[in-house]
Amino acid sequence: MLMVILILTTAISFQYPRKEKTREFPPKFFGKRLPELNNGRPLVSTGVSYAPDQILVKFKPSLPAQAVSATLSAYRTKKMKRIPRINVYQLKLPEDVTVEEMIYVMSQNPDIEYAEPNYKAYIATNDTFFKYQYALQNTGQRVAPPSIPGAPTGVQAADTRATKAWEETKGDEQVLIAVIDTGVDLNHPDIKNKIFSSGQDFVNDDSDATDDNGHGTWVAGIAAAEANNSEGIAGVAWNCRVLPVKTMDEEGTGFYSWIIEGIRWAVDNGADVINMSLGGDVPSQSLESAVQYAFQKDVIVVAAAGNDSDTVLYPGAYDVYCLAVAATDASDEVPGWSNAGPEVDVAAPGVWIVSLFPEYLTPSGFLPYIWGDGTSASTPHVAGLAALIKSIKPWLTVSEIMTVIRYSADDVNSAEYPGKDEFMGYGRINMEKALVPIKITTSSRQ
Amino acid sequence: MKTVRLILIPLLFLVLPTLCFAQSEKEGFVQTMTFKPGIGFEYFNREVNIFSKNEDGEWVEDEADSRLKSYFLTLSLEFGLQAGFTFTPIIGYSVSDYDSLIFRKLPFSIELDVGGINGYLIGAELKKSLISAQDFEIGAAGQIMYYAGRKQEWSVPGLNVEGSIQGRPYWLRGTIGPVIEYKGFDSVFPYLSVSYNRLWGKFTLEQEILDLTGEEEKKVTGKGAVVLSPGVIYELTGALTLKGEASVIPRKGGIDFGALVRVMLSL
Repeated sequence: MLMVILILTTAISFQYPRKEKTREFPPKFFGKRLPELNNGRPLVSTGVSYAPDQILVKFKPSLPAQAVSATLSAYRTKKMKRIPRINVYQLKLPEDVTVEEMIYVMSQNPDIEYAEPNYKAYIATNDTFFKYQYALQNTGQRVAPPSIPGAPTGVQAADTRATKAWEETKGDEQVLIAVIDTGVDLNHPDIKNKIFSSGQDFVNDDSDATDDNGHGTWVAGIAAAEANNSEGIAGVAWNCRVLPVKTMDEEGTGFYSWIIEGIRWAVDNGADVINMSLGGDVPSQSLESAVQYAFQKDVIVVAAAGNDSDTVLYPGAYDVYCLAVAATDASDEVPGWSNAGPEVDVAAPGVWIVSLFPEYLTPSGFLPYIWGDGTSASTPHVAGLAALIKSIKPWLTVSEIMTVIRYSADDVNSAEYPGKDEFMGYGRINMEKALVPIKITTSSRQ
Repeated sequence: MKTVRLILIPLLFLVLPTLCFAQSEKEGFVQTMTFKPGIGFEYFNREVNIFSKNEDGEWVEDEADSRLKSYFLTLSLEFGLQAGFTFTPIIGYSVSDYDSLIFRKLPFSIELDVGGINGYLIGAELKKSLISAQDFEIGAAGQIMYYAGRKQEWSVPGLNVEGSIQGRPYWLRGTIGPVIEYKGFDSVFPYLSVSYNRLWGKFTLEQEILDLTGEEEKKVTGKGAVVLSPGVIYELTGALTLKGEASVIPRKGGIDFGALVRVMLSL
């Protein structure tokens, strides 16, 4: 009988409030209503911006390729790329000519259908709190509204490059992320459309994995909250769905036996990725067998390193079968409480992370969202990335996906610890490098 | 169907000369063979369709097209097998450039925009006069050309470990069709050919990033099947002949071009 108690690896745990994290639970932010944020407008970029030295040009279809080349030379433009099918040329302008001047001149040429600036587009997420999700896009913004005191300001580009990655894929709805945790608020407006089923509850032994703590909903939201729905936050894996598995009780603790059953159940019920923002101090052969079972069934297991300034918790420490995730903050630095050890594979943002909170646990008049810290928040960022890779490349093995996540990470602490280290592993995940084609040019020739 | 065509066109080039020799012998012709070594330069720039294998192993067309630009320097030896019948083996060196191929099946997706890749060419031409009427001569001509690029290696930038990719391109081009030639001038012989032309290619890319490996192959087919080739053969001296030809390849949404210049020496 496994009686070892697991502890949720987050700072919002009731049992183990940390000195360095003095925010009360729930935070004061609950007083803010959605329409008051961003003046009630959807969070989309305003204002026009475009590349200052480029334009897009379409020539008349009847114009031969040689004539196109001659025309480009005549205007002293350099072809950067021709976009096939729609036959549009991306041109680099000479230094002494502005975009407006070149467009005016080209618009006089009868061989040119149109010329226009190379406008800058933005990922069209209109989630109201997206601007606080520095983990996905860090522009150097404040990571919480002014009503929440003590919130830091981020450092530009200290993020997971999620918006670039979403241009490549937003995930496949057939890909399931099992969230093994305290359950999920199945009717939360920002995730209810993403819930695959009511899941399984191994604490109360029924098939209703409703969250009675809040931690599981917070974690699930980071991985897969509904994106671009004019509400709340964007999950990492826009289109992937959540399989809730409740193995932790309302106090945020759970027996290994519940976890082991939860892993087995998730694997057998179609999970592609398992998120475990939890861990225990003690190794267990049964727990290792469970994550090994998932690995053998091609299910990616992502687990938290822990928040005790200590060694990596189990099952994260089962190195072959799990990706163990440490935390970074909005400046790409590892917080002191993030557990370390050779088993740490990668790091992901885990400080001041906003996500969902169960509606029925939210005090009246407050919004069902919460900010929190912990490797619990880092883990679903990585699980979401694993789900996106699985979506776009289902033929890769679990081992290959884990390796892609490791090798594509940014070694942001290389000045101090070059290469893989015990604090960040290979580095802070970079979703763009993991998903978007890497451009190889002549300069890469060996 | 594509495989059948791939086999048939080379076979055609092998069988036709044999048949012609057989006919010559049967008719009891006594033929003095002529030789014309030549050196030439050719260029083409064509839009191509790209195909990738899906999860079921079937080839499906990519959303994005590409272009294949190729420059080649050739050495040829034209054999005049009998009056109006020539066979020309060709060897050469080419720089071929597949514009921006994207490989998404590898563990790390790759966009390859590496410019021209050097490689070797081998091919043959066959030309046979069929009908002469006044100053015009109508014949048939065909060409097959095979390019095998050299294997190139590039490093994969941006990752936290060392990694590389190795790529190798190929293409095969076959052309066959009638040629009408005007023989009314003394030393200048303009001609026009309208030929059926196909271009097939492939590009294999291997990825090795420490223990992470993968391989992906792209198939390529040229757009446009008909080539209009106006050209001229100019006998500079009794021993020196210059051939110039332009190729126009109409396709859906545009026109592609090619050009050829060859200098031949009569022995």
